[in-house]
Amino acid sequence: MKLAHLADLHLGFRQYHRQTPAGINQREADTAMAFRQAVDGIIAARPDVVIVAGDLFHSVRPTNAAIVFAFQQFQRLHAALPDAPVVLIAGNHDTPRSAETGNILRLFEEVGVHVASNEARRFVFPELELSVLAVPHEALAQAERPLLRPDGSARYEVLVAHGEVDGVFPSDRSTVEYGGAVVQPDEFGLGEWSYVAFGHYHVRTELGPRAWYAGALEYVSSNPWGELRDEAEKGVEGKAWLLIDLDSGRATPQPIIPARRVLDLPRLDGTALAAEELQAAIVARVAAVDGGITDRVIRLVVTGVPRHVARQLDHAVIRGWKAEALHFHLDLRPPSPTRSTGVGAPGRRQTLPELVESYLGQRALPAGVDREAFVREGVDLVASAERELAED
Amino acid sequence: MRVEAPGRVVYGVVLDAVAYEDLARPLDAAVHALGDPAAAGSPRDSIRLYTAAVLRQQPEEPLQPVPLGEVRMATDDDVRVALRMDAFTGGDHPTGIPIGTYGAAGLAAPVSLDADFLLGPEAAHLNITGVSGLATKTSAVEFFLSSIFQAFPARKGSVAALCFNVKGPDLCFLDQPAALSDEDTALYARLGLEPRPFDNVHYFAPCKPDGVNLNTLRTHPDLAANTEPLTWGLREVLEYAEVVLNRDDLDAKADAFIDFLDDRVVGKEFHAPELQPKEWKVLTFADLEAFFRAIFDALENSHRGDLWRTHHIATIRKVRNRLGNITTRAKGLVTDDGASSDLPWGAFADRAVYVVDVAGVDPLAQDLVFARVISKLREHLERRDLGVDHVVVFVDELNKYAPSDGPDTYVRKMLLDLSERGRYLGLVLFSAQQFRSQVLRRVVGNAGTTIYGRMDPDELATAGYATLSPATRIKLATLPKGELMVRHPHFTQPVFVRFPRPAVLSGREGVERFPPAPDLPFDEAVARQLRALDPGVSVERVRGLVGGRREDDVRRALARTRQARPDDAFSYFTACLGRRIEPERGTRRATVTPLRDPVDPYASQP
Ligand SMILES: Nc1ncnc2c1ncn2[C@@H]1O[C@H](COP(=O)(O)OP(=O)(O)OP(=O)(O)O)[C@@H](O)[C@H]1O
Ligand SMILES: [Mg+2]
Repeated sequence: MKLAHLADLHLGFRQYHRQTPAGINQREADTAMAFRQAVDGIIAARPDVVIVAGDLFHSVRPTNAAIVFAFQQFQRLHAALPDAPVVLIAGNHDTPRSAETGNILRLFEEVGVHVASNEARRFVFPELELSVLAVPHEALAQAERPLLRPDGSARYEVLVAHGEVDGVFPSDRSTVEYGGAVVQPDEFGLGEWSYVAFGHYHVRTELGPRAWYAGALEYVSSNPWGELRDEAEKGVEGKAWLLIDLDSGRATPQPIIPARRVLDLPRLDGTALAAEELQAAIVARVAAVDGGITDRVIRLVVTGVPRHVARQLDHAVIRGWKAEALHFHLDLRPPSPTRSTGVGAPGRRQTLPELVESYLGQRALPAGVDREAFVREGVDLVASAERELAED
Repeated sequence: MRVEAPGRVVYGVVLDAVAYEDLARPLDAAVHALGDPAAAGSPRDSIRLYTAAVLRQQPEEPLQPVPLGEVRMATDDDVRVALRMDAFTGGDHPTGIPIGTYGAAGLAAPVSLDADFLLGPEAAHLNITGVSGLATKTSAVEFFLSSIFQAFPARKGSVAALCFNVKGPDLCFLDQPAALSDEDTALYARLGLEPRPFDNVHYFAPCKPDGVNLNTLRTHPDLAANTEPLTWGLREVLEYAEVVLNRDDLDAKADAFIDFLDDRVVGKEFHAPELQPKEWKVLTFADLEAFFRAIFDALENSHRGDLWRTHHIATIRKVRNRLGNITTRAKGLVTDDGASSDLPWGAFADRAVYVVDVAGVDPLAQDLVFARVISKLREHLERRDLGVDHVVVFVDELNKYAPSDGPDTYVRKMLLDLSERGRYLGLVLFSAQQFRSQVLRRVVGNAGTTIYGRMDPDELATAGYATLSPATRIKLATLPKGELMVRHPHFTQPVFVRFPRPAVLSGREGVERFPPAPDLPFDEAVARQLRALDPGVSVERVRGLVGGRREDDVRRALARTRQARPDDAFSYFTACLGRRIEPERGTRRATVTPLRDPVDPYASQP
């Protein structure tokens, strides 16, 4: 009994300014290619069931292109594997904030997909001795959550859910997607399920015995650098979907060949370097990129660069790189401020996130609001705004 | 008795009495009376010889032989001085704990023990021996505890009692008043005590294997409010895994593996690249079982022999079997999924009694409860954060837990340690058994106060009692109910006292008055536990909610609710239980028509 687990496709995701000859955002096209590749792979692997664990689309109102494309892929899947059910849940990205908006995912019921868009559903497929408890984002965001346990209704029992499993994310949380519902690890009975398919975290992660985040198929978040770092820390190489053997519990990642590399070059320390020396070091770094920078997404962080040195760099060369790469971000960071003298209150001035944190920590809150979560959300928002500024 | 001579008073206690008459044999009297039976019983001259042991002389120095003088029966005051109770019952800072009256011929002088020698720091612990039923051991301890709670001076700090109920309904009704005879009521008055039940008692009992009915005889609905479940998860159990394992042939290797689990794996982030999965967070028995399976899988697939991280597969299997054994044998105490319900560590209250009812559970589970509860008491008292300064631990049937022969179990070692070091910590052992000779000598030997009720003659014939006079031995073998012989550091000779019946229902009376409820059906048992948190919860609502649910799911939600003690228990429980998602048939769609104009919007060529 084989199961294909994919998640966080984020169709319609757009980033950077490059367009395809057809006038489509290049990263949006890359994202679609990754999904097409996955569908090819799934058709070849012939699993008995296909699970899509949320965030099929990057937004609640995807572009027509994204909708049509998704429709075609599911249709293709159905035509090739008519006996393999496809179960799709909504994630936080494709769940509308108000119920009236209606959910686009329902559309895919027309191509035979089993969809859980705002309520949890338990699909039973007797011919496969399989039941799938499908828990979309919305069902976890409600006060009364569904019970995330098997009910003994089939030989193979699978849970698919979209949310943040508490304690799994890296402690700096910079790669955490906002707005995910938090699920406690003891809430879903690890070890009781034949398999638990989670979506939301874009880095492929094993949650426990027979439980995984499949991760995204492309770098589809506003912070690909943090994602790269998490992957390096976890020893995860690239993106993939998962092929699961439900009998043995073994999970085999099926790699996606990316349309282009996303590279965070080794950092440079610019401290005490003159402009020419720094320029030479940067040029060397860029020249050393294996396979060049053409059409790739590249970042180079240089620390300890005072503003006057940054101004003296050869910006024509840098503009050339920006044109050559799909995205080239030279991230020049000033030396960290050391305030030896000051006016007013002694001590270090608070950074903006610190200021926000201490303000939100004291602000009066309506009853029932969890302060810790509230502060965390605020701090995350500021951090994301900062990152977005840094990225452009 | 008291002997007075000029400048000197001697107090003593009679040990033996003999009468000498002018006739050699009793039959001579009949012969003498020439066949007149009435005359044979008439008073004759006789000499009576009493042998007494000196209790105290005044002045004490220099030591002198007992002078000739008039001998009188002792008064209350004489008893106080003779037993050196004047040192701790009078004055500004009395530390006397009344335990009964001493008396003969109309005298009933109160006898007290010195709290400093009963609860530490000078000496501590109390042990009581005697035959079943007649020795009134359990009753005596109940009475002593009540006396301690009433008389222990506040300036000495707070005191609580933790009782293990090991026999039927014995200690199940400590909060229920008993009707006392006038004689007993008078005895309480004489001792300056009030005959009243304990007003702050908390009962803890493991569940039955169904996980919701309590394994105790205190299940009458009227008593539910202060009767709570005692359930532990993996964390709680593993800390005391030794307990469970040392009964068998547990070796150093298994010990090492358990330490490894405890230190590195359970409750920690554990990274194991060779296992599938690599990242572990083992919190429950279920997680642990998955972890074991992953190790076995890895060993099987790797063909790297029988070692996993220096631990042999046989050792790992052994530990797994033993731990698995706990979940089966102690089902109801040990929960699979980690939710625990425990004694109020850190929040013990002054003059409160905590009764842990293990009468109905498997011996293995009993050992686990003893070990963990006493160890936790010790830890908290060492850190001075239990909530009280002194705890009296009452262990009945001590011969079962600290036997003189048999394997040196963890529980026995722990009781020994408690008897040797407890008094410095305020941890005091009150224990009882029928046969003192069957208990580890060092444990009873450390008891500062030793008490005997009616004794078995065979037991009295064993070496331990050789120092008692023959008359004392006879007296012990015939002691009536409610009378005890007391040895206490201040008393130079054993003293016989009479104590009143405890003012609480005995186990037998209790089960008559409050018959145990039959095991409730699952949903009602759940409702009962919720009602203990929130009396407004109705059985119907619970039944509606729980009906058709898996019992494991319900138990888990109940455990969470108990732990959280929310204001609105029913809503909280409902939320924990989670909405049930009914299965629906996933129907297949036979044919799907492709889009008519199949342009791929993302095709590389426009
Ligand atoms: N002070 C007392 N005076 C007279 N009778 C008493 C007194 N205290 C208790 N009893 C009675 O003695 C009986 C036995 O008491 P208890 O259960 O305490 O004995 P025990 O020594 O603990 O017995 P076992 O070894 O079987 O546990 C009870 O029926 C009780 O009512
Ligand atoms: Mg008894």
